[in-house]
Amino acid sequence: MGLLTAHHLTKSYKEKTAVNNISFTFQKNKCIALIGPNGAGKTTILRILAGILDPTSGAITFQNMEVGSDFRSKIGYLPQYPVFHSWMTGLEFLIYSGRLSNLSKVESRNRAESLLLKVGIEDAKNTLIGKYSGGMKQRLGIAQAIIHKPEILMLDEPVSSLDPIGRREVLTLMGELKEEMTILFSTHILTDADEVSDELLLLRDGEIVESGSMIELREKYQTSSIKLEFQTDLHLYQKKVEKIASTTGSYIERNALYVSATDIQLARREILALVSKENWPLLSFTLNRATLEDMFMKVVNQ
Amino acid sequence: MMQWMTLFNKEMTENWRNKKWIWVPLVFILLAITDPLSTYYMPQIIDAVGGLPEGTIIEMPEPAPAEVVAMSLGQFSSFGVLIIVLTSMGTIAGEIKNGVAELILVKPVAYKNYISAKWAAHLLLILVAFAVGMFASWYYINLLFGDLSFTSFLFILLFYGTWLLFVVTLSIFYNTFFKTPGLVAFFSILTIVVMSIVTQIFGTYLEWSPNNLSNYIFEMVRADDISSQLVGTSIVTVAISIVLLILSIYIFKTKELIQ
Repeated sequence: MGLLTAHHLTKSYKEKTAVNNISFTFQKNKCIALIGPNGAGKTTILRILAGILDPTSGAITFQNMEVGSDFRSKIGYLPQYPVFHSWMTGLEFLIYSGRLSNLSKVESRNRAESLLLKVGIEDAKNTLIGKYSGGMKQRLGIAQAIIHKPEILMLDEPVSSLDPIGRREVLTLMGELKEEMTILFSTHILTDADEVSDELLLLRDGEIVESGSMIELREKYQTSSIKLEFQTDLHLYQKKVEKIASTTGSYIERNALYVSATDIQLARREILALVSKENWPLLSFTLNRATLEDMFMKVVNQ
Repeated sequence: MMQWMTLFNKEMTENWRNKKWIWVPLVFILLAITDPLSTYYMPQIIDAVGGLPEGTIIEMPEPAPAEVVAMSLGQFSSFGVLIIVLTSMGTIAGEIKNGVAELILVKPVAYKNYISAKWAAHLLLILVAFAVGMFASWYYINLLFGDLSFTSFLFILLFYGTWLLFVVTLSIFYNTFFKTPGLVAFFSILTIVVMSIVTQIFGTYLEWSPNNLSNYIFEMVRADDISSQLVGTSIVTVAISIVLLILSIYIFKTKELIQ
């Protein structure tokens, strides 16, 4: 049995169904990425799991706990746009968070101090949060989410609003936290998911369209293409390429011709043979590996 | 209890840092003493401003202490209510609207603690401010108009305090109802205005309506006697407040907090 299981979650509003009959299980100490285009229902799912939104139907069970019991103490949550009491200092807010999570005074303070150090805003601990930058708020947000050592940390788009440096720092931090707890985070930036997550849940229109580990999905959607660049008249060569038996399709994009094939090795040999025989004015010849982005587009556009 | 104290202390600190603990008592003092002072000095004021023909003799009856108390309470019933509503309209609705609630309520916070700590902190602020303001009024009444016993002063605090309790609770109630602070203020004031109109129209049937408290307190000070109507009305007012508070917690529990 997994750490957390969702059974047939549905959330519908008057106009639309944000989450449609979703079920999944999270194992302990995994890092799971929730991926999907905007409006796919990522935030809604996280809010339901965090317990601040009630599902229209369905249930969530936590390991060793009864259905419907309050498991907020097991969860750390950071919304996409965290808002703090701007009149508090970073340290005060963390202590306040700790106390609300039923930690003692001493424990709250100790945890707060060590987390400020860990997330790297130790210097600003006595500064009012109102004066924090976006990156600092995001890091304070992570600190407040883990102050009570939750079993699951949920982050809603933790890096999408950050600059490259902040992004890198938060991703590194997530990599470290992954050792201590289960992390569930949503993103629409695929390279981020690729970097830290073990498992992916791909969402579209409130439904899970694909899930599995990174490696599984890579294998499943592994397709490659050949990219050809010419000095002149792409369309002429497109016709010629399409006549080759092993190719399955081609398209032109930004002065380059992309060719897909069932057997990419065979296609390569055949195309190169044609190139040398007919002396094509070829500028470049590239074998493209499928990226996560290709997979995403493929799944989402199905 | 520990969690309740944490929430309560946070409210107290917030109200201290945003200076509510300074300006609310100051405004309440101003409300309480404006009428006693302006009434007492009215002849001099008119004199100084001029505009009356030479030789006019201004004679005004000197009001009794009870009437001056009624004037001060009148100010609290209008401007005072407005200030209570304006200072508390965003305490919950504002936190939900701006998103802080999303961080706070995912913590294992009991909703009854969240609501009642906010309620208690605001009530304390308002009651202290009222006590300070009324004390200033009491001081000037004794100085300028005649004796008003300290016991009467304490009874005024006690009985009018129940009205303030009601106003604070009403505002907290609407805070759990609406997500927009402006709507909270609007409906709180609307409710009080409607209650006052209804009490005036059906006065004979609504002897114990909270809106009658000021009148009964005036009678109490004038006759130096606590009437059964005053006690009854106070009990009704407190009871309505308790029901409203419980309803607030219930509404908050069942409501969708985030769109």
